[in-house]
Amino acid sequence: MKFDVMLTGVGGEGVLTTQVMIARAANIEGHYVRGVQLHGLAQRGGVIPTFVRFGSEKEVSSPGIMQANADLILAFEALEAVRATYYARKEKTTFVINDYSLVPIYASLFNIPYLTMSEIIKRIKPFAKRIHVFKASHLGREKLGNAIFGNTILVGVVTGIGLLPLKEDSLREAIRVTAPREMENNVKAFELGLQLGREKRSTR
Amino acid sequence: MKMDVLEEPGKKVVLLGNEAIVRGALEAGVGFVAAYPGTPSSEVPMTFSRIAKKVGLYFEYSSNEKVAFEAATGAAWSGVRAMTSQKHFGLNVAADSIPPVAYTGVRAGFVVMVADDPSAWSSAQTEQDTRYYARMFKLPMLEPSNPQECLDYTKLAFDLSEEFEIPVFLRTTTKINHSIGTVRFGEIKKPKIRGRFQKDPDKYYNLKPHLQVLHERLNEKLRQIEEKYGQKLNKVFPGEGKIGIITSGVSFEYAKEALLELGLKPPIAKIVLTHPISKSFVSNFIKDKEAVLVLEELEPILENFVKQIAKEANPNLVIHGKDLLPKSDEYNLERVIPALEKIFGKKFGIDFDDHKKKVDSASKNLTPRKPVLCPGCPHRSTFYAVKKVFGDEAIYAGDIGCYILGALDPINMQDFIVSMGAGIGVSHGIGIVSDQDVVAFVGDSTFFHAAMPAILNYRFNNAGKTPLIVVLDNAITAMTGHQPHPGSGFTGMGEKVEPVKIEDVVKALGAQVKVSNAFSQKQLIQALQELKSIEGPKVLVSRGGCRLLTRRQFRAKGLTLPVFEIDQEKCTKCGICTNDFACPAIVKATVEPGGEPVYSINPDICLGCAVCVQICPEGAIHAVKKEGEK
Repeated sequence: MKFDVMLTGVGGEGVLTTQVMIARAANIEGHYVRGVQLHGLAQRGGVIPTFVRFGSEKEVSSPGIMQANADLILAFEALEAVRATYYARKEKTTFVINDYSLVPIYASLFNIPYLTMSEIIKRIKPFAKRIHVFKASHLGREKLGNAIFGNTILVGVVTGIGLLPLKEDSLREAIRVTAPREMENNVKAFELGLQLGREKRSTR
Repeated sequence: MKMDVLEEPGKKVVLLGNEAIVRGALEAGVGFVAAYPGTPSSEVPMTFSRIAKKVGLYFEYSSNEKVAFEAATGAAWSGVRAMTSQKHFGLNVAADSIPPVAYTGVRAGFVVMVADDPSAWSSAQTEQDTRYYARMFKLPMLEPSNPQECLDYTKLAFDLSEEFEIPVFLRTTTKINHSIGTVRFGEIKKPKIRGRFQKDPDKYYNLKPHLQVLHERLNEKLRQIEEKYGQKLNKVFPGEGKIGIITSGVSFEYAKEALLELGLKPPIAKIVLTHPISKSFVSNFIKDKEAVLVLEELEPILENFVKQIAKEANPNLVIHGKDLLPKSDEYNLERVIPALEKIFGKKFGIDFDDHKKKVDSASKNLTPRKPVLCPGCPHRSTFYAVKKVFGDEAIYAGDIGCYILGALDPINMQDFIVSMGAGIGVSHGIGIVSDQDVVAFVGDSTFFHAAMPAILNYRFNNAGKTPLIVVLDNAITAMTGHQPHPGSGFTGMGEKVEPVKIEDVVKALGAQVKVSNAFSQKQLIQALQELKSIEGPKVLVSRGGCRLLTRRQFRAKGLTLPVFEIDQEKCTKCGICTNDFACPAIVKATVEPGGEPVYSINPDICLGCAVCVQICPEGAIHAVKKEGEK
């Protein structure tokens, strides 16, 4: 077994923390885990493509995901979902997109307008088995006082829908050890997302 | 990942490669660690810094890599297991002191960890291949391929070092350092932290003719290491057919997975001891093969070695490597698979080129997102003021730190970037032969690391047109993840110390100095104008804390940062805040297609530095919540 998750977003959004949460949950379930964080110059404001891979040690060895081979792509920033198509293909990849924009300074500077959500979806469609869109950051700000909880909400969503083959309790435990300072809010965020995901699952 | 490196033996934990290196060192009983941070190696010292007190070992952030290497040498000579870590360029700094220690050898185990950065994820400048150093300095080098091996080979490197009394390189690359993987823990060994230096002319006296004795001893050590460990450390994974793969480091992981994807099972030789490479190991592997593919990132070091050995062992062997794969950039699955397709004549199910074309078409006219200085960064404010005073024509010398991002639009104020402290040195040469205005930027950590001799050199030679040196002082080594330096006021062990003031050092070096608040445009411009008009060595210290740390400190106290808003009545949409100042927290967006743009501040990422308030010509930006208000 092998499951490839790509997380993408903008430096400073908490993408790396989310990678650690998922990696720990997979480890709790006894999977062999690999992954990589492509950060460096992009402490803040740059793109952070991040991978978590889990399954059997025989099948999982490269730290990064192969082009066109992600099972699941979580885009914490909407525009970055388009750049992530490099790792996606129609037969395999599900996109879960946070409807949240961090407009790069280059939109104004080079006069290249930021895409609308419908244009983003249009561009992703040829690479996606399914696309789900959630206003996770807005929900985080509204219910928990900070947009950054959108990440954990989205992890809850994919677990609730059944897109991430890991148990709810493994993720709960992983969240507890990964975010000790903001544990309470992160657990709440996860439960919020889980509920949203379950609703989505029952209506589809 | 927090305190995971101290988990119980037998536990399986997911760690970063860098964290696994720390665990390996702890299991080897390391007692002394000194380092200067440099990404992709930075999490090694950061992890040591977090746990040093708890484990009872000594850790320090040294002022640069050379000093760190020397300090660790002192500990290893005195019988305490020691380690130093750095990125590839850091090893260039330390390089001056390494070869003599290769000749004298050490007493306790001494591991020199180095992180190369193919693809330059965390570097500018070059993609140097540090494996050449092992050959030039005649030191053994081990290369792990995943986090588990990071632990295992760090531990082994200490034993190897102690057995042969020789420093050992542990060489990694970004995709080892920053990759995560499941790691199984062994026992942590209680560190020995006290030792004693014993005078020993036979070991340390390195003047000729004894120098040649030491040199021959080193040659003999390498010969013995090759003989004893060449077969033991390198591994053969048996397979089918007459075509073999020879690889090392992360390339092994790509090879393994790519072959599985292609349904191929050729024999693989994994080189772990990449210096000295075992002649007999390679010879045995290639003697019955028709062809081999050598998979290694950057330089064809293994490949050239195989070519040399094949002359005797198997002259008809076809050797592939850099004929099919590039010498620049890093490898990955989609690079390795086409090389395997060619050699084995087997087609993979996905056409990568075709897929890439579809991606390019979907990504057409996509707003680029290059890294930028953070919202609230004091450097943005300083760059803005310097450009106001010196204009577009002045030469802007760059250096290494967050301010490297000043090379990008719209700042464009890093005309060249060489190495730590080099902006000042290069500016001296320009000033001797040209009358151009030169401004040399340097960070606070970089100032202490390598800039001081260059400033002293101005005072000494006192010739030509001296540039203005602008020290961007945010009180921390920010880019690599907020490590302390001599001006920060605390050490890597978390001890409070009296911070060294940059202005005091500058004065002692014989330059005139002014200090300005980095968040005050008025103060900055006044100081810059004054300095512009004076002759001789001159320095502006632009001081303002990294806002990411300020935010952290505010949060810890339960306080909030101020919140700002753009008054839509006053805003004339001139675009200075977005296009000249270019803070990422200020957003220009058109609500209706084809409609008028609206400028606003994103409260999720604004860090409340209030510089935009000062640069808005209409006074349209104001605080809606003051600092500290709930």
